Amino acid sequence: MIELREVSKTVMSGSEPLTILHPLTLEIPRGQFVAVVGPSGSGKSTLLGLIAGLDEPTSGDVLVGGVTITRLSEDALAKLRGEKIGFVFQFFHLIPSLTAYENVSVPMEIAGAPDPRSRAQALLDEVGLTGRAHHYPSQLSGGEQQRVALARALANDPPILLADEPTGNLDSSNGRHILELLQNIHRARGTTIVLVTHDADLAAVADARLVLRDGRVVERIA
Amino acid sequence: MMFVLRMAGRETRASWRRLLFFFVCIAVGVAAIVALRSVIQSVRAVIGGEARSLIAGDVLIASNRDWPESARAVIDRRLAEAGATARTETVETPTMVRPADPAKRVAKMAELRAVQGGFPLYGAITLQSGQAYSHALVENHGALVRPEVLTVLGVNVGDQIAIGQAAFTIRGVIAAEPGRRVGGFGLGPRVLIDFADVPSTGLLGFGSRADRRLHVQVPDEHVDSLVTTLRRELRDEFITTRSYRSTEDQIGRDFDRAENYLSLVGLVIVILGGIAVSSVTRVFILQKIRSIAVLKCVGARNAQIIAVYVLQVVALGLAGSLLGVAIARAAVAAIPFALGPSSTSLLAQARYGITLSAAAQGIAIGVLISVLFAVVPLLQVRFIKPSLLLRDEGRGRRRDWLSIATGVVVAAALVAITAWQASSLRIGLVVCAGFCGLAVVLHLAGRGLVAVLAPLAQARSFPLRHAVLHLSRPGNQTRVVLLAVGLGAFFIVGIRSLQASLLDEFSVQTSADSPDMFLLDVQRGQRDAVAAFLSDSSHGSGEFRLIPVMRARVAGVSGREATLNDVEDVRQRRPSLGREFTITYRDHLESNERVVDGAFWSSPATEPEVSVESGIAARAHLHVGDTIRFDILGRSISPRITSIRDVEWRESRNGGFVFVFRPGPLDQAPQTFVAPLRGPRDPASRGRFQHDLVERFPNVSVIDFHEVLETIRDVMRKVTLAITVVGGLVLFSGALILIGAVAMTKFQRVYEAAVFKTLGANTRTIGRMLLFEYGVLGTVAGVIGSAGAVVLTWGVSKYALEIPWKIPAGEHLAGVVLTAVLVAVIGVAASLDVLRHKPLATLRAE
Repeated sequence: MIELREVSKTVMSGSEPLTILHPLTLEIPRGQFVAVVGPSGSGKSTLLGLIAGLDEPTSGDVLVGGVTITRLSEDALAKLRGEKIGFVFQFFHLIPSLTAYENVSVPMEIAGAPDPRSRAQALLDEVGLTGRAHHYPSQLSGGEQQRVALARALANDPPILLADEPTGNLDSSNGRHILELLQNIHRARGTTIVLVTHDADLAAVADARLVLRDGRVVERIA
Repeated sequence: MMFVLRMAGRETRASWRRLLFFFVCIAVGVAAIVALRSVIQSVRAVIGGEARSLIAGDVLIASNRDWPESARAVIDRRLAEAGATARTETVETPTMVRPADPAKRVAKMAELRAVQGGFPLYGAITLQSGQAYSHALVENHGALVRPEVLTVLGVNVGDQIAIGQAAFTIRGVIAAEPGRRVGGFGLGPRVLIDFADVPSTGLLGFGSRADRRLHVQVPDEHVDSLVTTLRRELRDEFITTRSYRSTEDQIGRDFDRAENYLSLVGLVIVILGGIAVSSVTRVFILQKIRSIAVLKCVGARNAQIIAVYVLQVVALGLAGSLLGVAIARAAVAAIPFALGPSSTSLLAQARYGITLSAAAQGIAIGVLISVLFAVVPLLQVRFIKPSLLLRDEGRGRRRDWLSIATGVVVAAALVAITAWQASSLRIGLVVCAGFCGLAVVLHLAGRGLVAVLAPLAQARSFPLRHAVLHLSRPGNQTRVVLLAVGLGAFFIVGIRSLQASLLDEFSVQTSADSPDMFLLDVQRGQRDAVAAFLSDSSHGSGEFRLIPVMRARVAGVSGREATLNDVEDVRQRRPSLGREFTITYRDHLESNERVVDGAFWSSPATEPEVSVESGIAARAHLHVGDTIRFDILGRSISPRITSIRDVEWRESRNGGFVFVFRPGPLDQAPQTFVAPLRGPRDPASRGRFQHDLVERFPNVSVIDFHEVLETIRDVMRKVTLAITVVGGLVLFSGALILIGAVAMTKFQRVYEAAVFKTLGANTRTIGRMLLFEYGVLGTVAGVIGSAGAVVLTWGVSKYALEIPWKIPAGEHLAGVVLTAVLVAVIGVAASLDVLRHKPLATLRAE
C-alpha cells in the first residue's frame, strides 16, 4: 500500500544543510495501523509529510498504491490526496472562515463527490458533533476541532489516514476520545493508519511501531 | 466548479467586511465615470438635438464685414438653386449700452443682436414675463434685454436705453434665446433689437467688428451641397458657411472629447482603487496562507484555488461597481435641484439620469480593474506549499515567468482600458505612462522618506521608535497609503497653488499703472476729440495712447523657405497665418518688444516693411528678407520682412501685435484706433467715465479689464472648485484605502498591542504609538504631495501659462499639516478597538 525506497530529506538550516531523515526503506501493507514514535525533532512528521506528498524527498521514491508519487506534479498530488489520503494535524488546521460542516464538505466538493451535504452531516454525527455543525472553529473546543478535522480526513473515504500527533494539543480525555475514534475507523473501514506520536500509551494500540531518533529508524516492532 | 462557486461564496461571506473599503474606493471611481458620462451624454442630447436652433437655421452664412455685392449675388443664386424656403438676416456686435436718462451715468458692454422678422427660423425666444415673442416687440426702436442689463444700468421694462446714436425702449426681458452658447465667454449680456433700426445706431461704420449673418432654411438634401458650393465660391471672401450638421459634428466632437477626458478622472480613481486591491490581495493571501495550504492538503488544485479568489474579487468588484452606479444615480438625480427651478440655461432642459452605456462602461471598468490588479498577487497561491502545515518554513515572494508574463498582459490590458476610455491610444499610453511614472516616483519618494526617518527608530521615545518601525513592518501598507493619500494631496495642493499663482499674476497685471481699460472702434475723425476727452483730467482717466489698427489677411508669401500663392495656399500650408490679423504701424519698439533678427526702423519710408513676431515667424518659417502679401480691406500690399521681434505677451496691454508695419505706406489707409488707458479708480467713477465717453462717441466700445478680470476670476474659481472636488475624491479614496489598510493589518496590531500590554505598556502608550505612526505616515504623504505640487506648478507655470513660478508657502504648509492630521485621525480612529482588546484573550487565540 505504502512503500518508501531509500527516502531521505535534507533541509537548509541557515547556511548549513541539516538531514532530518536519513535514507529509509519501509513498507506498510494495506489495512495496517502503524505508530511512528520518537522524541521531538526525530523526523516523524517529516516522514508523514513525505508519505502524503506534502513534501518532496531529497532522494528516493515514495509509492502509494503502486504509484510513484515523487514523480507527480503538484496538482496530481493534490488529486491523489483528495482521493486516497486523509490527514489529521496536531494543530487541527481547520479553515477559520468556514463552519464545521463546511470544513468537512470541502474535500468532497473538490473531488466532485455526489451529495456532500448528507455525507458531511453523517461524518459529523459519527464523530459526535451532531449539534455543532454550524459553528465556526473559533466557537469549538480543541477536542471538538480535532474531531471536525478527523471527519474532514474521512470525507472521501480514503484508504489511508495519516495523523500527526492528533492528541498532542488535547487534554487526556479528549485525547482518548480521538484515539477511540481512530481505532473504530481502523476496525470498521479497514483504513491504513499511520499515527505519529511521542506518547507510548497511544502507540501501544497500533499493529506495528516504528521508532525514530535523529532521523534514523532505531527500532521496528511488528 | 461547484467547489469554486461555493468556496468563493463562503470566502466572500467571511472577508467582505475587511475588503469593503477597497471596493468602496472602486465604487467612488465608478461613480465618477458613470456620473460624468451620463451628465455629458444628457446635455449632449439636448444641445445636439438643438443644432438647428444653435445656428437658427439649416445653414448659416456669416461675414465680419459688409457683404460684397459680388458675394451677395453668388449667395442669392446658390440659395435659389438649392430651393431655400426661408432666410433671415441678423447682425451681432459687442457695443456699449447706457440709460437714455442722462441722470444715470453708467454704461455697460453688451452683445447686440439685430434681427429681422423671420428670426429665429428654428428654436424660440422666451421672455421672463411668459409673453410670446413676436418681432413686433422690437420694431420701431424696441429692445429686449437680459436681466443683467436692468440691474447694472438701473433701468426697468418701459425705460429707454441708448445704443450708439439711437434710443430704444425696453419691451421685455429675455429668459432664453436660440444660439446662445452654453458656458460661452461673452463680452456682455444680450440686447435684441430690430434689424431695421441698426443704421440709426451708426454702429456699422468703418472698422466695425459687427458680424453679419444670413440664416437660411433649405431642404435637408441640399444642405451639404449648398455649404460645399458656397465655401468653394466664397473662398477668397471673408465669409464662412456652416450647416447645422457641421455644428452638430463639432458639438459632437467637443462633447466626445469632454466626455472621454473627464471620465479619465474617474478611471484614475478606479486605478487607485485597483492598486489598493492589488496591495490588499497580497496581504490577504499572506493571511490566508494556512487555509490555502489546508485546501491543497485536502486535494484542491492551484487553478481551483486561484479561481475561488478571482471569483471573490469579481463578486466584490461587481458589488463595488453597482454601488458606484447607485451613487452616480443619486448624484445625477440631484443636479436639477442644484441648478434651481428657475434656471433658464440649456443645462436645465436636459433629462438627468444614468445612461445605460455609461453604467455598463462603469461596471465593466470596475470589475476589470479589480480583477487585473488582483491576478498577479493571486498567482503567489501557486508557491504556497501544503508542507507548511507540518513545518513553519520561510516563504519569500517569488517571481517566475508566469507572473512576469501575466504582469505584461495586465499592463497591456490597462493601457487598452485607458485608451478605450479616452478613445485614443496615444492618450491611453500617455495616461498610463504618466500614472506609472507618478506611482514610481511616489513609491521611491515613500521609500526614501521612510529611509530618512529610519534613524528615528533609535529615538528615546518608545512610542515614536515603534511607530517608525511599524512603517516598515512585514505586510505593511505604507506604500499604498502613501500613493493614494499622496496623490490626493498632490492634486489639491497643486491646483490650489496654481490658482494662487494665477490670481497673483492677474492682480500684478491690474496693479501698478498698467492700463485697465481699452477703447475700440475710435474712428479717424474722432481721434483728436477722443484724445482731448481722455486728456481732460475732470474725467478721471490716466495715461492713454491711441494706436492705429487695421484688419488684414495674409494672401501670399514669397520667401526663402516657401512660396505661397494665394489665401487658400496660406490656409493649407501655413495654418498659423490663415486667420485674420489686427495690424498697426509705428516708428518705435514697445518696452515689451526686442528685436532678435534684422533691424527695426526709426523713421517712415515709402517702401512697405514689416516686423514679424518671433513665435509666428518660427511656426510659419518666415525670415528677414521674405516678402508677405497682405490683403488689407481689399487692398494688396507686399512688405518685406526687415525684422523679427520677441514680444512679451504678458505685458502686451500697451500693444501686442504680430505684424507691425513701418510708417509711411499705411498712414492714409482706412483705419480705426484703439486706446489702452488707465481708467478712474473707483467703480462709480469708472461707470460715469464710460457713460460720458459713450455719450460723446456712441460708436466707441469700452472694455473694462476689471470686469473681464472678475469674469476670469469667476471661471477660475469654478475650475478650481471642480478640480478640488476631483482631488477631494482622490483624497477620499486615499482615506478609504487607509481605513482598509488599518482593517487589513489589525490582527497583527491587536496581537502586538497584547504583547506590549503584557510587557507593561498602558493604553496611552499604545495610543501614542498609533498617533505617531499615522502622524508620520500622513506627514510623509503630505510632503510627497506637496513636493509633487511644486514640480507640477513649476512645469505648468513655465511651459503652459508662461507666468513666473511661485511657491505659495501657505498652501503647501496647510496641505502637509492637514494631510498629517487627516491621516492621524483616520488611522487612530480606525484602530480604536486595538486599544480596547484584552491581552489574555488575544494571546490565547494566537
